[in-house]
Amino acid sequence: MSTLNAAMSASASALSAERTRIEVAVSNMANAESTRSVNGEPYRRRDVVLTSDPVNSFDAALGHASATGVKVAGVVVDQSDFQRRYEPSHPDADADGFVALPNVDQSQEMVDMLGAARAYQANLAAISMIRDLVAKALELGRS
Amino acid sequence: MNVTTALSTVAGNVASAATSTAASASDGGSSFDDTLKQLVDGVEGSSEQANTAVTGMLDKSVDVHDAMIALQRAEMSLQLAVQIRNKLVQAYQDIMRMPV
Repeated sequence: MSTLNAAMSASASALSAERTRIEVAVSNMANAESTRSVNGEPYRRRDVVLTSDPVNSFDAALGHASATGVKVAGVVVDQSDFQRRYEPSHPDADADGFVALPNVDQSQEMVDMLGAARAYQANLAAISMIRDLVAKALELGRS
Repeated sequence: MNVTTALSTVAGNVASAATSTAASASDGGSSFDDTLKQLVDGVEGSSEQANTAVTGMLDKSVDVHDAMIALQRAEMSLQLAVQIRNKLVQAYQDIMRMPV
C-alpha cells in the first residue's frame, strides 16, 4: 500500500498548495481598492510560487521517486506599477488629484482563483480514485 | 476501548495458536506474529493520526482535506487489517474442521 500512500500524500500536498493559491487570490481581490497598507503605499498584489517536493526523500535520493508532491516556495509581491484614478476629493489623492490604486486586476484574480479551484477539484478526484482502488484491491480478500 | 484493541487480541490469539502448532515444523513462525503486531500497530497509529487531525480540524488548526485524508488512511488500514483477520480466522476454522 506504500505506493498508493505516497500518491495520496502527493495529492494532499497539492490540496494545501491550491488552498494557498485561493487564499492569495481572494486577498488580492479583497484589497483591490485598498489605498493604504502597513508600509504607507497602496496594497500590492501577491503571487504564489510553487515548487515540486518529493514525498519520500529517501526514494528521491535513490533516483526512483514515484510520487512527487508540491509545496509553496513562497508568496512574492508583484512590483508592477499602481493604477491611477482621478479622484481629487479622495484623502489619499496626490497634488494632481490622482489616487494610486493597487495593481490588482479583478478579472485576472478571478481566473487565478477558478484555476486553483479546478486544480483542487482535480486532486480531490485523484484522492477518491486512489481510495476506490484500495477498496477494490481489498475486495480480492473476500471469498 | 477501541476496535484495534479487540482486533489485536483476536489476531494475537490466532497468531500464537498458529505459531505454537507450526513451531515444530519451522523456525520462521514467530516472524509472522511480529508482522501481525506491526500491522495492528500501524492501524493503531493511523487511527491516532485521524483522531488528532479531526480534533485539529475542530479547533481550526488543520485543514478539512488533511483531516479527511487522515480518516481515509485510517479506514483503509483498518479494512486491510480486518481482511487479514478474516482470512486468519477462516484458515483456523478450516484446520479445526479437519478430521484427525
